[in-house]
Amino acid sequence: MKTTDPRSAGPARLAALRRGLAAVVLAACAMPAFALDLPQLMGLLSQNRSGEATFTELRFVHGLDQPLESTGTLSFAAPDKFTRKTLSPRAESMSIDGNTLTLSRGSRSRSLALDAAPEMIGIVEAVRGTLTGNSQTLQRYFSSSVAGTPDKWTLELTPLDDRLARALRRVTLGGRQGELRSVEMLFPGGDHSLMTIEPKSLQRAPAPGAASSSP
Amino acid sequence: MTPVTGVRAAPARTRALLAWGACMLLALWVIARSQFSADLSAFLPASPAAQQRVLIEQLQGGALSRTLLVGIEGGDASRRAKASKALAAAMRESAQFDQVQNGDESQWAGAAQWLFEHRYALSPDVSAAHFQEDGLREALADTLSALGTPAGGWIKPLLERDPTGETLRIAQSLLPASAPRSQEGVWVSRNSPRALLLATTKAPGGDIDAQARALQAVRDAFATLGGVQGASPLSLQLSGPGSFAVQSRASIEREVHQLAIAGTVVMGVLLFAAFASLRALGAAVVPVVTGIVGGIAAVSLVFGGQVHGITLGFGSTLIGEAVDYAIYYLIQARAPAGSGSGWRRWRDENWPTVRLGLLTSLCGFAALAFSGFPGLAQLGVFSMAGLCAAAASTRWVLPAIAPDGASGAGLRGHLARIAAFAMKVLPRLKWAAWALGAAGVVLLAQQGATLWRADLASLSPVPPAAQALDAELRADLGASDARTLVVATGADLDQALQSAEAAAGRLDALVEQGVLSGYDSPARVLPSRQAQDARRAALPPPDVLRVALVRAARGGPLRAERLEPFIAEVAAARQQPPITHAELAGTALGAVADAMLLQRRGGGWSALLPLQAAGGQGVDAQRVAQALQGVAGVEVVDIKRELDALYASYLHEALWQTGAGALAVLVLLALYLRSAARLAAVVVPLALAVLLTLAGLAALDVPLGILHLVGLLLVMAVGSNYTLFFDQLRRDGHAGDDTLASLLLANLTTVASFGLIALSGIPALSAIGRVVAPGALLAMLLAVVFSGRAHAAGKARDPA
Repeated sequence: MKTTDPRSAGPARLAALRRGLAAVVLAACAMPAFALDLPQLMGLLSQNRSGEATFTELRFVHGLDQPLESTGTLSFAAPDKFTRKTLSPRAESMSIDGNTLTLSRGSRSRSLALDAAPEMIGIVEAVRGTLTGNSQTLQRYFSSSVAGTPDKWTLELTPLDDRLARALRRVTLGGRQGELRSVEMLFPGGDHSLMTIEPKSLQRAPAPGAASSSP
Repeated sequence: MTPVTGVRAAPARTRALLAWGACMLLALWVIARSQFSADLSAFLPASPAAQQRVLIEQLQGGALSRTLLVGIEGGDASRRAKASKALAAAMRESAQFDQVQNGDESQWAGAAQWLFEHRYALSPDVSAAHFQEDGLREALADTLSALGTPAGGWIKPLLERDPTGETLRIAQSLLPASAPRSQEGVWVSRNSPRALLLATTKAPGGDIDAQARALQAVRDAFATLGGVQGASPLSLQLSGPGSFAVQSRASIEREVHQLAIAGTVVMGVLLFAAFASLRALGAAVVPVVTGIVGGIAAVSLVFGGQVHGITLGFGSTLIGEAVDYAIYYLIQARAPAGSGSGWRRWRDENWPTVRLGLLTSLCGFAALAFSGFPGLAQLGVFSMAGLCAAAASTRWVLPAIAPDGASGAGLRGHLARIAAFAMKVLPRLKWAAWALGAAGVVLLAQQGATLWRADLASLSPVPPAAQALDAELRADLGASDARTLVVATGADLDQALQSAEAAAGRLDALVEQGVLSGYDSPARVLPSRQAQDARRAALPPPDVLRVALVRAARGGPLRAERLEPFIAEVAAARQQPPITHAELAGTALGAVADAMLLQRRGGGWSALLPLQAAGGQGVDAQRVAQALQGVAGVEVVDIKRELDALYASYLHEALWQTGAGALAVLVLLALYLRSAARLAAVVVPLALAVLLTLAGLAALDVPLGILHLVGLLLVMAVGSNYTLFFDQLRRDGHAGDDTLASLLLANLTTVASFGLIALSGIPALSAIGRVVAPGALLAMLLAVVFSGRAHAAGKARDPA
């Protein structure tokens, strides 16, 4: 991330110096509020190569006597693999590889093409796109707003497409630096779910790779 | 063709002409009543085994044969989407299609309601255990696991009426694993800017006229859409078996026309150059036309009015041989004009040789007429009848039209000089012929059985570009594997559905093992009566269900009291009348089921279970066959393997038949010639010609197939005329310039006509042409080489 670090700007050439100066000014503006914008957040997240985590999910459904709780593990690998394994109350899994969604329970499993049902991609990308910092994909399906600091950020996604909005009203993701710590989904009709995530491991790309991917 | 000159035309001549005219009219009447087909049926066995019969039914009338793949390209995505919707609507209205799908979900609105109402008859999960305490607990947990997720929006409205999730289960079973991409509400390609539609024609795939009408309906509907003109116009792509059949027929028709015209022109020029007389030209046409008309009529009579397009194409090959008869006659019957005696001399001196040549050819083709390969059997019948008709018209009609042969001399003088020169030089090259023959034997021995390696696909007249488009559209649509068929049959519809259900149990296991990604079955929307009864019997009465439900829901977040609507609906389902085929008729789901069902011609029904391969590869037909072993009434057919095996058996059969034919020719010649030396002189050049032709093709690395074999038979048929001619020459001891010229001219026309066929775009025809054109030339040259009369040509001059 050469442009945001003044120390690495080469003093020999004027252009480089000017770029370095600009970066100092930018950093100075950003620092006091500790605020974060989407490109910066995506910059943080896009260095994620793969990771594993455990999760606890509570789903609040109108008409049910108590919230539904489930726990399990999450894993992902850039650019497009994501698996959610539920361990309790019952073992089942959902894994996404590229355009293929596979749902398994016991011996029964079925695969579907994500792009055959466009609203499904939106839902998948809300999580997968965030985990891998793919801002282009996120912006294709959602309008987004970022709040907080790198150490405690939230990303709110609202579907752009009507069909998607019929399944999902809003997704709020929270995290710390490059780690996703919570996913909250709000559905039409008022049902909602809250997933808290405890990272177990996270592989991040080395700095040069990150520099080339952040404009 | 006016009658002969002179006022006193002999009554015999008039009778001959009248008889000929009557025969031609009769034959034309038979032809007019015939049906010309260009589908795969030419290649399907006449007396198939059970598995083959299933395959044939499916290829001729099954769902796969009725599939029409449609692509719309050009413009932008939203214009294509609009065009797709409008085209689908127009196609649905055209009444040419059982179903038209384009990814538009609005047409399923009624279907979803119907599925919901019949969920307890349709859901494969319904069993007695499913409605007892444990089963209910499991099913409730399933449903709860989807609540509070994005899928919850669809499930929650049904929660109280369908808490065990039967509707979802049915929907999942109907949703294909490999659906196309959806964009702006319609199916689109993943790889190229293209909207996609998939239709099933009402007409069977074998009915080419009806297929052509369906295709035209699509084109017409597309032409009336907006956006066909303009800066970036939309374009339509059509593919599928019906489209292939229509294209093939059109290309065969076009080729046959072109070949007929080109053949006529080339022949006309050659004959005119040789005779310098339009009259002679007209006379030469008689045996050709008679042969073709007679051949087609005979095929129509023998094969119940069905004539394959490929046979028709073969008609053009007969020109080459039939015109030979005319040439021999016109030259050999020459006499001073007005004497009217030329034909008698020809009849006495030359006709026996022509007749023997004819018999030899018939022997060769008779073997084919008994082939189990209908295409080949038709070729055999066609050739035999055609040659007989051509020879008969030469013998009886030409004497009436041109009793003194052809008068003009034209450029025959040059031909005669060339022939005389050849007669002098070529016999010295005997050693070279033997050497070449020996080399040929070595080459063929090296290649052995690999020589005959062409497969059925090499006969397909569908151009590679069209095949590539078909593969692309299929991949885009995630269409079912078109290679492996699972067909369940039964004496009635219900039995076929029961067989399909039994097969489904085994296929489910393959889906779990990942061998298949999915499969379809008509029993999913139309279960057998037996399955429906079993499901209905599994539904418990309300009070029993209530007790089980209370226990199953205990401690869970969903209280049993909320599920009274469920208990009421199960009670209602216990009284529901079963779903029948008639009830489904005319609905979207009925079309889905009907696309996979086929009423068999001989009675009974068959249900097709299309398979979807896992992981982008083909279906492992062997594992499917293993899994389905022992399931009564279910056949697994690997189409390509089955057709390849079929073709291999035809080839094998044809090789034997050709061998038998060759032996028959040998016996016939031996009986007629009654001399080993004469027999050898006639047979050796022929055998060498066949050998060298084969060796030449082998040297050029041409994969040989069944039609090359037919070509070799033709070489023998044509070549025997030449060698017999020289046999006659050796006995008569003189060879007139004109006689030699007639031989050379006959050979030229044959080589030219088969040379034209060799250039055909239809593989079946070009294969024959590429064998016969060089083969006939070689036969002629070798006949001269082995004529053993190096001195005769120069010395003897025909006084005529």
